[in-house]
Amino acid sequence: MRVLHLSWEFPPKVIGGIASHVFDLSRALVRRGIDVHVVTCNFPGAKEYENIDGVNVCRVESYAAGDSFLSWALRMQKNMERSSCDLINFIKGVDLIHAHDWLSGVAGIGLKHLYRKPLITTMHSTEYGRRIGIHTDLQASIHEIENWLCYESWRVITCSYYMRDHVARLLHVPENKICVIPNGVDVNKFNFGFDYWQVRNRFARGSEKILLFVGRLVPEKGLDTLIAALPEILGNGVDAKVVAVGDGPQLEEFRRMANEYGLANKVMFVGHVDDWTLRALYRVADVTVVPSKFEPFGIVALEAMAAHCPLVVSAVGGLNEIVDHEGTGMKVPINNPHALAGAILRIIRDSGFRNWIVNNAYQKCLWNYNWNNIAEWTAGVYGAVLHEYDMGSWKPT
Amino acid sequence: MRVLILTSEYPPKRLGNVSDHVSTLAHELVKRKHEVELVVLDDLRQEFEDVSGVHVHRVANPIKTHPMASVLTYAVTASVPVEAESSNIIYFYRQQQKSIDVVHAHEWPMIYPAISLKHAFYIPFVLTFHSIEGHRCHDSFSAVSIAIKEIEDMGMWESNEVIANSGWLKDELLRYYGGGHWGKMNVVWPVGKDWVDQVISIYQKVAR
Repeated sequence: MRVLHLSWEFPPKVIGGIASHVFDLSRALVRRGIDVHVVTCNFPGAKEYENIDGVNVCRVESYAAGDSFLSWALRMQKNMERSSCDLINFIKGVDLIHAHDWLSGVAGIGLKHLYRKPLITTMHSTEYGRRIGIHTDLQASIHEIENWLCYESWRVITCSYYMRDHVARLLHVPENKICVIPNGVDVNKFNFGFDYWQVRNRFARGSEKILLFVGRLVPEKGLDTLIAALPEILGNGVDAKVVAVGDGPQLEEFRRMANEYGLANKVMFVGHVDDWTLRALYRVADVTVVPSKFEPFGIVALEAMAAHCPLVVSAVGGLNEIVDHEGTGMKVPINNPHALAGAILRIIRDSGFRNWIVNNAYQKCLWNYNWNNIAEWTAGVYGAVLHEYDMGSWKPT
Repeated sequence: MRVLILTSEYPPKRLGNVSDHVSTLAHELVKRKHEVELVVLDDLRQEFEDVSGVHVHRVANPIKTHPMASVLTYAVTASVPVEAESSNIIYFYRQQQKSIDVVHAHEWPMIYPAISLKHAFYIPFVLTFHSIEGHRCHDSFSAVSIAIKEIEDMGMWESNEVIANSGWLKDELLRYYGGGHWGKMNVVWPVGKDWVDQVISIYQKVAR
């Protein structure tokens, strides 16, 4: 079976979460014996063609002038489509086309019709979800493209049941056309030797419990709820400190908020950190807190689980499915500092409970969020689609 | 010869003169015993029609909202249904062991679909310029104008033969997009009796 993956980002070009998703998924599919070709945008310093752990990567010219991100994205995809045609002819055809989001989906629709091969699309997010509503013509246009893409796809894959409902309702997709396959995490990346105190001392005093927040500093990530919960935690005699990893437009607002609470020395904004430091931070943190107000999946939760760090999350979106309350972490209602403080205190005070949820969470990672299993489920979708395709009459002649 | 004509206007849709030009070309081709398949972008009519031998396939753009009414995003999204319908036509003929000999694209919105068909099916394409962006938006350096010029430039490179409607337009194309293209330039003045024969001779130059 030969599958063409279309993605607008692929390492070393990393902008959102799609790059690492396609990177891990494509390598796991190759380990299952599927021939995977990835077509993606070019990037300074990256090779035009290369083979990474068996994945054939083809990077296409992505420069294109235009008056908006939309027109750039569309013209880039026409380049992607043209180069994919050359690639498909060179490798003598593909069995399936797998697109990721609308940023490669338009090229996928074109290729589907040119070669009459089934198109499968993973909807990682939606324009409606990203902007919390459709407010401008540009967003409406992207929304329509997403709708069109789901219509043209043989199957749509989402990474949570929450996103399945979201996509079904918003983009008018029949539910039996949507498959739910979660994102994965590679636990081995979190298993490395390092100097615990050397890392920890960079972020907090020895007596302070580290409450780790990882995410862009935007309203929907809910850092304000965590800062509002701090006084209650400190008031209960637990010395804790918020370490916020990530950058964003709301940085000054959150900083001012911490100052107003008189907690400037208890909230540390560290901005972007490199991958190694982030993984080490998960290992040294006492609790990872994900107080999001909107979250299609919540990859941060998986990373904490893989690093044996206990989790407190708000019960929204994909987080709701990843975390089992008092089983693999603690769930609290959104925008509720009191509940958040209570959950954090319980984990810090009760080490037996902490160990119980951490071990459960790690076991869940090993099975539910294992890339090999995800590749198996994805291959199952491929097989089902190819079977239906073989039974039908829509084929190249 | 079996020709696939791609155009953004065909009667009754009229944006400019291209509509009637393409109509005349298609009917004259049919009179000379050539087979004509024609794919046209038409958001108001989506029926297949056999207009005295010309097979007219009308397709609509599935995307209705375009930021700032952008002609650029409209044209690029519309290129996909044009490709899809063209592919259907190509597979229809393949089933009968027949093929399309040449694709004839008119104006820049049809450059992207013609390129895709060339790369996917190895069908040569002839590109007719009725006007160019540099004249439509004089001295414009707006992002949309630059993008359309890039697409026209790409069409100059990818097409097998280029037809200009006048010697002056040919000179302008070479001035804008580089004199290196002179070898594939043709001037067909679409007036009089024999201009369609000139077009056919250009088809014969590139047809497989």
